[in-house]
Amino acid sequence: MAITDEFKVTIDQFEGPLDLMLHLIKEKKLDLFNLDLDVLADQYIDYIRSMEKLHLDIAGEYLAEMAELIEYKSKKLLPRDTSELEDNYEEDTREVLIQRLLEYQQFKEVTGTFRELSEARSMQFDKPESDLANFYRKESELNSASNDGTMAELLKAMNQCLKRYRIMQPMPVSVAHREVSAEERIDTLKRRIPYFPEVFSLDDLCADCEDVYLVIVTFLAALDMIKNGELIAAVSEERILFRRGVNYGK
Amino acid sequence: MENKKAVIEGLLYISGDDGITPEKLCQVLSMEEEDLTSLLENMTKEYREDENRGIELVSYGGRYKFVSKEMIAEYAKVLYEVTPANNYSPAALETLAIIAYKQPITRSEIEEIRGVGCDMILHKLIARGLVRESGRTDAPGRPFLYEVTEQFMDSFKLESLKELPKLPDFRSPSEEKELFE
Repeated sequence: MAITDEFKVTIDQFEGPLDLMLHLIKEKKLDLFNLDLDVLADQYIDYIRSMEKLHLDIAGEYLAEMAELIEYKSKKLLPRDTSELEDNYEEDTREVLIQRLLEYQQFKEVTGTFRELSEARSMQFDKPESDLANFYRKESELNSASNDGTMAELLKAMNQCLKRYRIMQPMPVSVAHREVSAEERIDTLKRRIPYFPEVFSLDDLCADCEDVYLVIVTFLAALDMIKNGELIAAVSEERILFRRGVNYGK
Repeated sequence: MENKKAVIEGLLYISGDDGITPEKLCQVLSMEEEDLTSLLENMTKEYREDENRGIELVSYGGRYKFVSKEMIAEYAKVLYEVTPANNYSPAALETLAIIAYKQPITRSEIEEIRGVGCDMILHKLIARGLVRESGRTDAPGRPFLYEVTEQFMDSFKLESLKELPKLPDFRSPSEEKELFE
């Protein structure tokens, strides 16, 4: 059966098992108040199984609810014990789930209003408090030692302080140093050398160097290549010149 | 004393996004709370209704402050070439709503309602200053209780929790009766 085609909504679009159940109830046009738990359980289990087939990660919470639904179903399938306990179990499981779904649905619905409120709020701008620190000193701070500030106030004060401090400081700029080994540099040089003329200089090798560090690594790489017979070096008029050695390209 | 409205306006201007509580204003202006409240309500109305003004007086989380009017935002967008960021994930909104209506509430109670773990999202909301711990229960393990902050109210245009939107009621009376029969 093509279960996977049937479910177009993937599991990561739900906020949890209750959200998924509400979706299934809506999609299958089930009545939440007269909930047929058998149908919901089947739908839910089918859905989770189909998501497993799609190799989607399924959070533990979904599996825990599925286990409960399977337990409910299996208890129903067992030969009927007419004792009251069994009846209560079925009725209770259903009632508890309906209550949970109703309560969850309330909060899920109201989040729409909260989103609207926050969007409206984000269109109202306010400004930071005027900085009086340079003109006034807080009398209360000087005169009274009593301070019943909460943790939150302390944090706020610290943040203010850091903010002010940051404004006073130059922008932090960090220059990351890319460490290149001589071996890596040799590889790069070997890719570049074919484009060089018969005789080329150390300056040519260093043309792509961004810093002194890389110049030094290039020099070391060149020394290695000379040792291996891949390059032959000569010094002329304070310039180091190279040409290809016997082992070049081997 | 000078015009009280002018003094209040000036003080609110200085206080910026921090705002001022009515209690503090009473103290500074040596006014009765009643008089101040009606004065503030009056000013709020004046700012809001005066179409020649681009700022308005609001009271969020128990603090009065000035903000630019909503209709200014579209011009600010052009001026600063910005678009509003979508600030809250569905998980954050659900968790905030549950805490706001049910506070003080423990983490496990929130998780029971949402049906998923809320450890991470709670930490994030606390870090953003929207939620804070408010003591512990006497239940086993003495779990923390959580409540929303003034900053939460500020972020959702609420003067106090009394202003929370009404929770939708999905039970019609007859069905409710059925459920409890």
